[in-house]
Amino acid sequence: MSTNKRYSIKKTDKETLAKWLKLMLVGRAIDDRAPNYLKQAIGWSYHAPYAGHDGIQLAIGQVFDREHDHLFPYYRDMLTTHSAGLSAEELILNGISRDTDVAGGGRHMSNHFAKPEWNIHNVSSCTGNHTLHAVGLARAMKKYKVPGVAISSQGESSVSEGYVYEAINGASNEKLPVIFVFQDNGYGISVPKADQTANRKVANNFSGFKNLKIFYCNGKDVFDSMNTMAEAKEYVAEHEHPVIVHANCVRIHSHSNSDRHDLYRDDYELNYVREYDPLAKFRRLLIRYERFTESELEAIESEAKMVVKAAHKVGMNAPQPKPESIHDFVIPEPYLSDRYPEGLHQHKGEPKKLIEGLNETLKAEFRHNPDTFIWGQDVAHKEKGGIFNVTKGMQQEFGKVRVFNGPIAEDYIMGTANGMSRFNDKLRIVVEGAEFADYFWPAMEQFVETSHDYWRSKGQYSPNITVRLASGGYIGGGLYHSQNIESSLTPLPGIRVVYPSYADDAAGLLRTSIRSKGVTLFLEPKALYNSPKVATPIPDDFEVPFGKARLRREGSDLSIITYGNTTPMCVDLADKLMKDSIASVEVLDLRSLSPLDTDAILATVKKTGKVLVVHEDKVFGGFGGEIAALINDMAFEYLDGPVKRVGSTFTPVGFNRILEAAVLPNIERIEKAATELLNY
Amino acid sequence: MKKNAIIYSFNTKKTSKIAAQIQEAFNSDSIEMVNAEEITEELFLSFDGIIMGVATWFDGELPNFWDEFLPALEEMDLTGKKFALFGLGDQKGYPENFLDGVGIMGEILESQGATLVGFTSTEGYEFESSRALRNDQFMGLAIDYENQSSMNNQRIADWVDQLKIEFA
Repeated sequence: MSTNKRYSIKKTDKETLAKWLKLMLVGRAIDDRAPNYLKQAIGWSYHAPYAGHDGIQLAIGQVFDREHDHLFPYYRDMLTTHSAGLSAEELILNGISRDTDVAGGGRHMSNHFAKPEWNIHNVSSCTGNHTLHAVGLARAMKKYKVPGVAISSQGESSVSEGYVYEAINGASNEKLPVIFVFQDNGYGISVPKADQTANRKVANNFSGFKNLKIFYCNGKDVFDSMNTMAEAKEYVAEHEHPVIVHANCVRIHSHSNSDRHDLYRDDYELNYVREYDPLAKFRRLLIRYERFTESELEAIESEAKMVVKAAHKVGMNAPQPKPESIHDFVIPEPYLSDRYPEGLHQHKGEPKKLIEGLNETLKAEFRHNPDTFIWGQDVAHKEKGGIFNVTKGMQQEFGKVRVFNGPIAEDYIMGTANGMSRFNDKLRIVVEGAEFADYFWPAMEQFVETSHDYWRSKGQYSPNITVRLASGGYIGGGLYHSQNIESSLTPLPGIRVVYPSYADDAAGLLRTSIRSKGVTLFLEPKALYNSPKVATPIPDDFEVPFGKARLRREGSDLSIITYGNTTPMCVDLADKLMKDSIASVEVLDLRSLSPLDTDAILATVKKTGKVLVVHEDKVFGGFGGEIAALINDMAFEYLDGPVKRVGSTFTPVGFNRILEAAVLPNIERIEKAATELLNY
Repeated sequence: MKKNAIIYSFNTKKTSKIAAQIQEAFNSDSIEMVNAEEITEELFLSFDGIIMGVATWFDGELPNFWDEFLPALEEMDLTGKKFALFGLGDQKGYPENFLDGVGIMGEILESQGATLVGFTSTEGYEFESSRALRNDQFMGLAIDYENQSSMNNQRIADWVDQLKIEFA
């Protein structure tokens, strides 16, 4: 219970009380009416009723200042968002998924209320996921020294998610202006909170955290919630560190319309929670303390009904989204290169190693754009600059505000990149997503979520992030240090995937990635970082557009399509076969996997009629299967033989060098397959 | 003559039962039984001594009927009045908030000048924390129907004996 008594039934002015009541009445009327839309097959197939959370949700919305703050509501936050400014009409348009829904035109689930232009963010259905986004955004607010707070709201059960721990740990460590609100109604769907964590008040789990204040309030009570939220916001501003507000609520109804709470709650309990209906309590207080007469309340209730009725009419007449619009806003248009439209150059300088190309391009881009940031595990500590020293010297040149270490928490690194990018669209963020690409898995949920932000919000928000990952084997690294992950990540719409092999392409693609809007997964062939074979001259301003493959060798008898670590092997093989007058082999280095240079693939197929796809990743389920299918579909009649593939065995990668060599492709295996095809 | 009352919610089962036992133990019809859900400021202030039944709801909250009375209570001068609190809790089911309602109400009453009596020993109870603790004693009578109902009669009898002296 808050000791701050700024708001009370006796002191709060009548106009404010009337405003609150009307918000609560309109919200509750829509909350109660939402299931009817489903019954009539109009929409709102997902509805999580908020009744019982009225006090805290009103308070969150009332303290939210859309000029300065950012709000990350969860799927039960109907009154929160209404109180924060969303109209009844906007709530209904979201509920019935119409094209004019301000959250994203019906692309995201119903009951996911948002209005990005007002900093009310469109968040994932993965509950608790947005805590990391709030933390990332608060980091930007702190770095840019702007006032305001990021408010993250969630149910108590979602605090069980690991990334919530990471978010609170990070906010505490970085001292960020975040209010984490836990709306505790005792259940995660049907799971009682006793099955989630040992403390009945999950906020107590964080009592040992430094730089973190925990407030408790009765989320069913308007005044206690208002006083607590106001105090929490002032506390954040004054102490410049995060707070948790733990609000005890009740869930009067089922979790959602797919849940039946009578299967696990008895009549006693259901009566008990209904007894404490926050709206009924507020109304009783208004009468008991003679702030309103019955007739005055009835007038407000009548007004609320009219608002909902009018909003319903607008909703029913609102347009549906058009089916052909599905291809809009999958990913933003990339940065376009005027000087290097094909990603080719004739520069004659000293060859530079791939790692130098990356390091120098990062530095050049950070000089070019002051709104660039990079973090990750191990990226910046004195002379250390990343596990492979790709970021060496960056913190010294650009300072700790822009170049800094992340904790060992891959989803924190990824999730806060998403959040920070929401601050404004000028920011360009680079993260080392993990020490090695195959350590990236803990970040997968955040990565998947980031892949559909742009589409889901109908183009209102684009995460502008380059995710760098040192990928592949040939270093005797074993599991988590040698595997490829592109076959899992490339199928995600909404991200670009590039995997250069040579120093100039690495530099050019990195520049394009950092200058582009959207998410780019930048895979670095770590075995080639220091390889003289892929060292090349690099023009200082080199740029490689996405989706432009590069012919590394021209030939007429066989096409090898490849990328990453296997490209120099294929080039060596082509040179050998040419030198020995065995065959003229064309080597196409894809450079980008998504978007894919379909034209270049078809052109080389038509030229040679024989195709060998080579990559380091496993053949089974590998990206080569997509290329083979594409050729089969679009150039079958040009083939003079089957599309063959070379890649890793369908096994994990062994640590012992003998085992590693048995798993990964090598020039001998490629030559064997090439010879078979040439002789076909 | 001093006017005393037991105020509790008539809509409760267990609390009502305890209230009736307390009245019986006092063996006095001079203690008025008052429904907390209908209490007015005027009626509340008309008593010199009040025994309040204050359950703990949810994770350490006052029942709504008491909570809704707080705005009035917080403006009262209770100097010279004596209050004794009894509460029902579940030591095993809700060990973190055992009798919190009594603690919350007790603190508010004291802040308005009231004198609290009827503190009891915590001996024989097992719980993790309670807002009703003051110097290792409960700020009233703790009844645990769920786990120690067989001890209710003795606890009530002892408490009433104590109150007869402290309320005098």
